Amino acid sequence: MLRNSDQNYGALWLLTPTVLLYLATFLYPLIMLGVLSFAKFELSVTTLGFYLDNYNKIFNDGITLKIFLQTVRLSIWITFWCLILGYPVALLMRSCTPKMKMVLLFCVVSPLLTSIIVRNVAWLLILGRSGIINDTLIQWDLISKPLPLMYNEFGVILAVVHVYLSFMVLPLFGALSSINTSIEEAASSLGAPSWRVFLSITLPLSLPGIMAGCTLVFILSMGVYLTPVIMGGNFILTLPMLITESVREQYDWPFASAMALMLLLAIGFMVVLSSGVQRLVGRR
Amino acid sequence: MSSQEHYGSRLPHRLLVGVVAAVIFFLEAPLLILIIQSFTAESYLAFPPPSYGIRWYKEVLTSEDWLNSISLSLIIATIVTPLSLIFGTMAAFALDRGPKNLKNGLQAIMISPMVLPHIVLGLGLFKMALQLDIDDSMLAYIPAHLTITIPFVIISVGASLQTFEVTLEEAARSLGASRFWAVWYITLPIIRPALVAGAIFSFIISFDEFIITFFLTTFQRTLPIEMFTTLMYQVRPSIAAVSTLTLAVTAFLTAMLILRGQITSGDKVIR
Repeated sequence: MLRNSDQNYGALWLLTPTVLLYLATFLYPLIMLGVLSFAKFELSVTTLGFYLDNYNKIFNDGITLKIFLQTVRLSIWITFWCLILGYPVALLMRSCTPKMKMVLLFCVVSPLLTSIIVRNVAWLLILGRSGIINDTLIQWDLISKPLPLMYNEFGVILAVVHVYLSFMVLPLFGALSSINTSIEEAASSLGAPSWRVFLSITLPLSLPGIMAGCTLVFILSMGVYLTPVIMGGNFILTLPMLITESVREQYDWPFASAMALMLLLAIGFMVVLSSGVQRLVGRR
Repeated sequence: MSSQEHYGSRLPHRLLVGVVAAVIFFLEAPLLILIIQSFTAESYLAFPPPSYGIRWYKEVLTSEDWLNSISLSLIIATIVTPLSLIFGTMAAFALDRGPKNLKNGLQAIMISPMVLPHIVLGLGLFKMALQLDIDDSMLAYIPAHLTITIPFVIISVGASLQTFEVTLEEAARSLGASRFWAVWYITLPIIRPALVAGAIFSFIISFDEFIITFFLTTFQRTLPIEMFTTLMYQVRPSIAAVSTLTLAVTAFLTAMLILRGQITSGDKVIR
């Protein structure tokens, strides 16, 4: 029986409020950034049109491209460390008792819902020049000068990993718990040592989760503004910082828009790449 | 092979537990330290504090700047939450009950603001707010926050609707209830945990939102912006006290979420 709900176009009117909102707050702003990125900005005057000046500037002003690549590099490191730290957690969550699972889940999800700025403050108090670590080490006479634990890449990567680790663990846990454990049991009953079972069964089967988690964390890291500003001081420059500065200080909307589009392009590339890899693996 | 070599044998398992314990320590220790430091009675931050007191909480709760920013953030989140719940639930129903062949495509569009970096969204919204001359006002903040909270409601309610037995609603309708009242009396109460989850997500996301609001404001300051501005100027114990207050609110809401089992059923969403 073909229920009317199978082709119920009438239900779609319920989308109206959200669609109208998105048209105004999502689609229109994006289109406008696209248009502005091709505009010309001279002597504080923006002229609309089809100029490639801004994109030209990104690649040839000697600094923007460098900062863009630095943002990509930082994001890759952040993604890498999230994967390294997150995988064991997801693995244990799958095999432990339900009660323990709840505890781990709470630990993983709670940062997701805690303010990013609060967590940055916490790291500031730990890693700062007169933070806990430096204070303690100086008190114990182990060092004479504070160690440079923040206002560098180390501090930024550490704090961003702390913020985004949950986004890695959740997809990993999802993928791992959908693996049928009897495959692993079969392998080990046939004599495979546990590292072998892990490398040739568990790890490959969890690949969709790895790809999903890495894509998500990479996308988030590319756009993060707050943590690099707080943890990096003025010593680490990223694309989001450059975008914010060129709008708020120089009112150079066309250049900021072009950089925003570059950011979207990088993210789009990552999404296409990861879905391509997943399709390739799925076919195998 | 003997049973000692079976999958999950002792040594690798202990190693795994050790690594996870270290990761959990990394996740939670900074927050614990922050909470302890906020109760210092000194005029500076040190760990452990030489003496304890609630001096900085008093200062925060009597300071006009902090109170203004806290109330602005609370007002925005309180307006955003019900609107986000209504918009998002309607959209989730549309996706669930609408044509099946369009579902995946439409769903991807409806949750797409989630994957757009907030810095780009903020930039675009700022330009629009300037054009309409509504920057630095609720007219700009509310739609902006709605755009980033609605996808969470759609996902949470959508997952719940997938497991909902439509026959229950149809039974009510066959007994004469109109579509609206059948949904109101049968469906909504059953999916209530998902509605609560959606509301809590919306509230917390709006309350914590920084970068988009940072673009949209000039003189007004929400709590995250006030914290950021203070932080850039000087790290004082009051910032630890405010952070702990924020933490208390979100931790309470998170605990409610998890105790209601919403996150566990969220596995479906992620897969």
